[in-house]
Amino acid sequence: MGKSNKKYHSTVGRRDFMKKLGVGAGAFGLGAAGFTGFAGTGFGADGFNDLDEMMSSPLAERKLPFWVKEVDEPTVKIDWDNMEIFHGPENTLFNPASWENPKDYFDIYNKNIASTKKNVQDNVPGLSLKDRALADANCWGWGGRSGADLAPPWSGADVKANPKWEHPTMFYTPEDYGVEKHQGTPEENSKMLRSAGRIMGASDMGFVKLDEKTKKLLWGKITFEDVEKGYAEPENNKFVLPNKELWAVCSVIPQSLWMQQYSERMSWASSNTMSYSRANIYGNRLSVFLRGLGYQAYGGDTESIGRSVGFGVMAGLGEYGRAGILVSPKYGTDIRTVLITITDLPLAVTKPIDAGITKFCETCKKCGEMCPSGAISMEEKPFWGGGAAYQAKGIKGWYMDAKKCYTYMLGGEPDCSRCQTVCPFTKFDEAVIHDLIKLSIGTTPMLNSAIRKMDDVFGYGEQPDLSKTPWDLDPMDIPLYGLDKSRS
Amino acid sequence: MKLISWVWFWYVLVGFLMGGGAVIIWNILKKVKLKLVWYEWILMILSTVVFLLMSQTFIASFYEFEPKAAWFSLIFMGIPILLMAVVLFRSLKKRYIKNSEIN
Repeated sequence: MGKSNKKYHSTVGRRDFMKKLGVGAGAFGLGAAGFTGFAGTGFGADGFNDLDEMMSSPLAERKLPFWVKEVDEPTVKIDWDNMEIFHGPENTLFNPASWENPKDYFDIYNKNIASTKKNVQDNVPGLSLKDRALADANCWGWGGRSGADLAPPWSGADVKANPKWEHPTMFYTPEDYGVEKHQGTPEENSKMLRSAGRIMGASDMGFVKLDEKTKKLLWGKITFEDVEKGYAEPENNKFVLPNKELWAVCSVIPQSLWMQQYSERMSWASSNTMSYSRANIYGNRLSVFLRGLGYQAYGGDTESIGRSVGFGVMAGLGEYGRAGILVSPKYGTDIRTVLITITDLPLAVTKPIDAGITKFCETCKKCGEMCPSGAISMEEKPFWGGGAAYQAKGIKGWYMDAKKCYTYMLGGEPDCSRCQTVCPFTKFDEAVIHDLIKLSIGTTPMLNSAIRKMDDVFGYGEQPDLSKTPWDLDPMDIPLYGLDKSRS
Repeated sequence: MKLISWVWFWYVLVGFLMGGGAVIIWNILKKVKLKLVWYEWILMILSTVVFLLMSQTFIASFYEFEPKAAWFSLIFMGIPILLMAVVLFRSLKKRYIKNSEIN
């Protein structure tokens, strides 16, 4: 427990960077105003006590490039005295009543439907079935029911009614367009899905075929019946998949390493947890996309299907790590979840991987040493374990005592993600050296011990300055959604 | 990447250092009428590669919020570069003296 106060990250801003180098902006004769990428980061300033204090500080001012001027009047002329007030969205042309002749609206809308159908039927690049499916997924995939109220009642609009199994959302099917469902080889389908996944919000994606072995990774409450389409009776806790060839689409949902430079409390509350909402929105999108192609989709939220780490390992998205979580060669342990969606779209499976990660975990033990709750096993070799209700037998790995972890995290101590933060595989993707280290781990295990030592010497995994928070920054220096562009 | 950003500056600076260094070494070798032998070429290329790696790690580590890693990369990669530079310099000096004695 004494190690819980050990440093596991440190922070420095670009201004600090310059200060540490002893180089002032003026020394280069380049003018701070020109360096918008650097000016006003706010690093090094004392933390704010509340939002009011932050807003009253110079940091609340926008930092604009020198060629963008603030002016008193906008460059478009406005006659405020004669400005007409719109009542609301009903004033817009999306409302037929806004049209002088409402029939014109419906004529145009029908033309739009006809041209959309024709483009799909003609397989026009950018307007084909998969393009429409992606558009529907991104448009309606947030899963809200109110979309049905706002959308025009045109053929194909559908609202599904079983949120835990088939998401309540709108989408158009191949039948609506008068075409066959999407046809492609498993390899083409996998590539298409990976591309769509990146657009919709998955960092990476893998595919597992459901067979007698991998079906054991699904929740036990899920059963199979000889039906064409799965169904659910949530009131009876009954979830049925059809007895046919099915694949698990395993999507990596990233979380922000950028936020983890700040206090773990802040990181958890504002970043890690947000990944769950992004995961569920993404799951809705993926389901809409698959159904828009004419295929079935089940699950696709963070709870309804099965074991995310197990599927992640089988899909080759990472290896099983000491902390009992997935360790990806690219993202380390900084993954919020692997979201599982079951589909009958034929897919080329992705095999499990060996990047030397599990082997490295035998030597490293850093997550175990840094875990404030002592939940992570310090056994050198993986072992056959299990037994508790939250520990499934049948895996030769390191069994984490989730009860200790949970008790620490939710029992009054700050929320925690130290096992993820301190993992030597959890790194930003700026320095080339990280790839060389991973290359060594994957090919030369004899250097693992030295690599672990060097990880400590170089200061990786040290605790951040807890007084610093993102509130101190220029807002435009905060990455969108807190996600690090270098690791996406 | 932003049009005007410190990232550009650092990498351009490394480029200038590399280019300037190459010109200086080329001129010195020309002046003393020495040509590099094969192992000197290897040392030169190897130290250049390590220098590039060190520069990239140094700059990138600050952008990764890891200043300690940045400074330690200078030590851990800078020492091998210095050692290679010393070996190279001694080798060149030895040949220069030998050539001078013959002439």
